[in-house]
Amino acid sequence: MKNPPRHQITELLAEWREGKQSALDELYPLVYDELHRLARRYMSRERKDHTLQTTALINEAYVRLVDQKNVNWANRSHFFAISAQIMRRILIDHARRHAYAKRGGGAQQVSLEEVAAITPEQGRELVRLDEALKSLAEQDPRRSQVVELRYFGGLNNEEIAVVLHVSENTVTRDWNMARAWLYQQLTENATP
Amino acid sequence: MNPERWQQVSHIFKSAISLDGEARAAYVAGQCGNDESLRAEVEKLIASHQRASEENFISGHAVDDAAELLLGDEARAHTTALNNGQQLGSYLILKKLGAGGMGEVYLARDSRLDRTVALKVLSPDVSADQRRMQRFRQEAKVASSLNQPNILTIYEFGEVKELTFLATEFIDGQTLREHLREKRLKLPEILDIAIQVLAALDAAHEASIVHRDIKPENVMIRRRDHVVKVLDFGLAKVTEKRPSVLVEHESDLEAATAFKTAPGIIMGTINYMSPEQAQAHAVDGRTDIWSTGVMIYEMVAGSMPFSGATSSHTIVQILEKDPVPLARVTREPIPGELERIVTKSIVKDPDERYQTAKDMLIDLRSLKKQLDLKAEIDRTSSPDVQRVVVGAADGPSKKRVLLIAIAAMVLVTAAIFAFNIWRSWRERAATSVVTSPSPPVAIDERTLTYWITVQKFRDGKAFGNAFPLAGEINFEADYRIRVHIRSSQPGYLYILNEGPTTSAAPEFNVVFPSETANNGSSFLPAGQVVQIPEKTWLQFDKQQGVEKLWLVFSEAAVPELEALKQFANRQTKGLITDVTQNKTVQYFLTNPSLSKPGAEKGETLTTVKAAGKLLVYAVKLEHH
Repeated sequence: MKNPPRHQITELLAEWREGKQSALDELYPLVYDELHRLARRYMSRERKDHTLQTTALINEAYVRLVDQKNVNWANRSHFFAISAQIMRRILIDHARRHAYAKRGGGAQQVSLEEVAAITPEQGRELVRLDEALKSLAEQDPRRSQVVELRYFGGLNNEEIAVVLHVSENTVTRDWNMARAWLYQQLTENATP
Repeated sequence: MNPERWQQVSHIFKSAISLDGEARAAYVAGQCGNDESLRAEVEKLIASHQRASEENFISGHAVDDAAELLLGDEARAHTTALNNGQQLGSYLILKKLGAGGMGEVYLARDSRLDRTVALKVLSPDVSADQRRMQRFRQEAKVASSLNQPNILTIYEFGEVKELTFLATEFIDGQTLREHLREKRLKLPEILDIAIQVLAALDAAHEASIVHRDIKPENVMIRRRDHVVKVLDFGLAKVTEKRPSVLVEHESDLEAATAFKTAPGIIMGTINYMSPEQAQAHAVDGRTDIWSTGVMIYEMVAGSMPFSGATSSHTIVQILEKDPVPLARVTREPIPGELERIVTKSIVKDPDERYQTAKDMLIDLRSLKKQLDLKAEIDRTSSPDVQRVVVGAADGPSKKRVLLIAIAAMVLVTAAIFAFNIWRSWRERAATSVVTSPSPPVAIDERTLTYWITVQKFRDGKAFGNAFPLAGEINFEADYRIRVHIRSSQPGYLYILNEGPTTSAAPEFNVVFPSETANNGSSFLPAGQVVQIPEKTWLQFDKQQGVEKLWLVFSEAAVPELEALKQFANRQTKGLITDVTQNKTVQYFLTNPSLSKPGAEKGETLTTVKAAGKLLVYAVKLEHH
C-alpha cells in the first residue's frame, strides 16, 4: 500500500489542532491503516525479539506519515493522541473477536485448541477494560483520556499534559484516580 | 456516582494518597465527617490505588498486553481448512471438532486400521518453523512411547502434501473444564479424577517426561466409563507463544519478558502455573504436582486457589500468597487429610512439595480407601440405628448390644483418622530430615528467639513499668504478660496456651494467630519481631499451676493450626471449643517423632532450636 502524501497528513493534523473536526475523520482511516500494518509487522515472526513498544510503533508511523520538515511538538502530541485512540480501537476490535469467538466442536474439545496463543479470557480482559474506560469517560472524560493516551497511546505524562493543556501534576493525579477506579471496576466485576 | 459525589471522592482521594498511615486516616475521617458511605467509598478507592500500584496494573502499554492477540491473528489467517469427506493420506475427514492457533482438529477415519481418530492438522505457520517442528516431532515420539491407560494415545505423526498432522486416540467425552461447568463434583469423584491424573503423571515422570501444562482443559473424562485421559503430553513443550510451557534455555528469557510485558491481562492458563514456571526457572515433574494440586483445589472449592482480575494479580498470588485453606471455602466439611495433601502439593518451594507423583498418588489412594471404609461403616451402621428405634420393644439388652456395636465402629473410624493424622505428621517430620538435598549439606534447623515482658496490674490498672522476664519466675495472680518473638528465618508461627487443667480432655487456647494480629497472618518474616498480643496483655485465669505456652514455628504453613484462627476472638478468649480440634492439636504438639528442641536461656532472651522444618517448644510459666 502506498502511503498517503506526508504533507496531507501534516495538514490534516494542523487543521484538527485548530479545531476542524472533519480533519479528524479524514485522518482516522489513514493513521488506522498505517498503525495496523505496523502492529502486525512488529508482531510477526520477522522480528526476532517479539517485543513491541507502543511508542516505537507510533513513532515509526509518525515518521512515515508526517512531514518531518515541519516537525513541531504540538503536531507530534496530536498525532500521538489520535494514535492512542486508534490503537485502542485496533486492539479492542481484536480482543472482542477473540473474546466472543465461538469455541469449536462440542463433542470433543481437543488439546490443540488450547495450545492456541489467544485465549478468550485475554480478549475479554481487554474488552472489559475498554468498557470500564467508557463508563469512566461518561463520568470524567479527561481522566479517561489520560488513560487512553498513556495505556493505549504510550505517551508519557509530559506529552499528555501538552495534549490536554493541563499541568503534569494534574495528569499524575488524574492517572492515579482513574487507575484506582478502573482497577476497582475490574476487580469487583471479575468473573472467576 | 453522581457528579458531585464523584468530585467529592476524587478531591479527598487526591490529597489522601499523598499522605501516609495515620495522617491519611485522620485526613479522610476529617473530610468525610459523619458521611460513612463517603468514607467507605474513599477508602475503597485508596485500597484499589495501592493494590493497582503494587500489581503494576495497566502500568505497561496496551499493545504489549495484547501482543499475543495480534500474533494469534497472524497464525489464524494462515490456517488451511479441510473439508468433510476429504482424504488426507489414509485418513478420511469426517468432521471438524475444533480449531486453535496451532491448527485444526478433525474427527477422521483411519482406513488402514479402520478406527476413528482425532486428527490434529498443524497450521502451515507452525509447521514452517523448522526448529519448532524438530522439537514437536521429538516430543510426539517420546509421548507416543508412553503406554498408560490414563494418557491419550498418540498413533502417528505424519506429513502429507505439506500438511503436518498428529493422529491420536479419539475420546468421546468432555474435558474436566466442561465437567466442572456442569456441576459441582463430589469428593469420591474428585479423588477418582485426581488419582487417575496422578497415575498418568507418575508414568510420564518415570519416563522423564514432564507435562508442564496440567489444567482442566487437558484432562478428558470419557463418557461411557468415566476413565480419565490426560492430553497434550509433551506437546506443550514445543509451544513458543505461551510462557507457561517454556523451559529450554533460549526460551527462558523470552518467558520472563513475556511476563514483564503483560500486566493487566489474564492469560488463559496462568492459574495453574507453578511459581517456578511463572519465574521462567527450569521445571521438572514437581511443576505438574503443583498444577494437579491447583486443579484438585478447584474441584473441591469450586474456585481456583490463585486467581486475580488480571495476570499480574494472579502471578503475585502464585508467587506470594497462601491460598485460603480449603476447609474455609467449602460448604461441607472436608477431610483434614485432603487439605494436607493439597497444601503439600502447592507449596511454593518445589523442594517442600511432594517430590514425586507417586508419593501424592499413594496419599490420595489411602485417603480414598479410608473414606470408602468410612462410607461403608456409615452405610452398614445406619440401618441398625433405625432398628434400635423401631425395635425398641425387643427389650433393653438387645438395644445395648447394638449400641455397643455402633460405638465400636465409631471408635474404629476415630482410630483410623487418628492414625492417619499421626502418620502424616510422622512422615512430615521424617521427610524434613531425610530429603535434605545431599548428605554434606547441613540438616534443616528451625530457630526462634523469644522474650517475655511482664506488667503488674492492680485493680485492673497497670501498675509500675513493664519489665522483661528473666528466667521462668513465679507469677502473681495479677501479672500480665506479652510474648515477643523473632527469628532469623521466615516461617509460620502458632502459639497455643495449655492451662494447668486436670480434666481428661485436652484444652487449648489460641494465642496466635488471630484474625487481627499481624494482619491475620501466621507468617513471620525473617528478622521481624512480633509482639503478642499487640495491644493488650495475656492474663492467666484463676487456676494455679504450670501454664504452657506452646510455640510452633514451621517452615511451611500448618493447615491444621491455621484453622484454629477462628477461635481467637474475644468471646471465647481463644479457647478452642471443638473437642476434635483440641485432640488434633494435642497429637500435633506431643507427637513423639518430633525432634527435641534445645533451648539456650540468656538473661532475658531464650533461643530455641530444633532439627527439621518444624519447631515445637513449650514455654512453662508457673503461677500462683
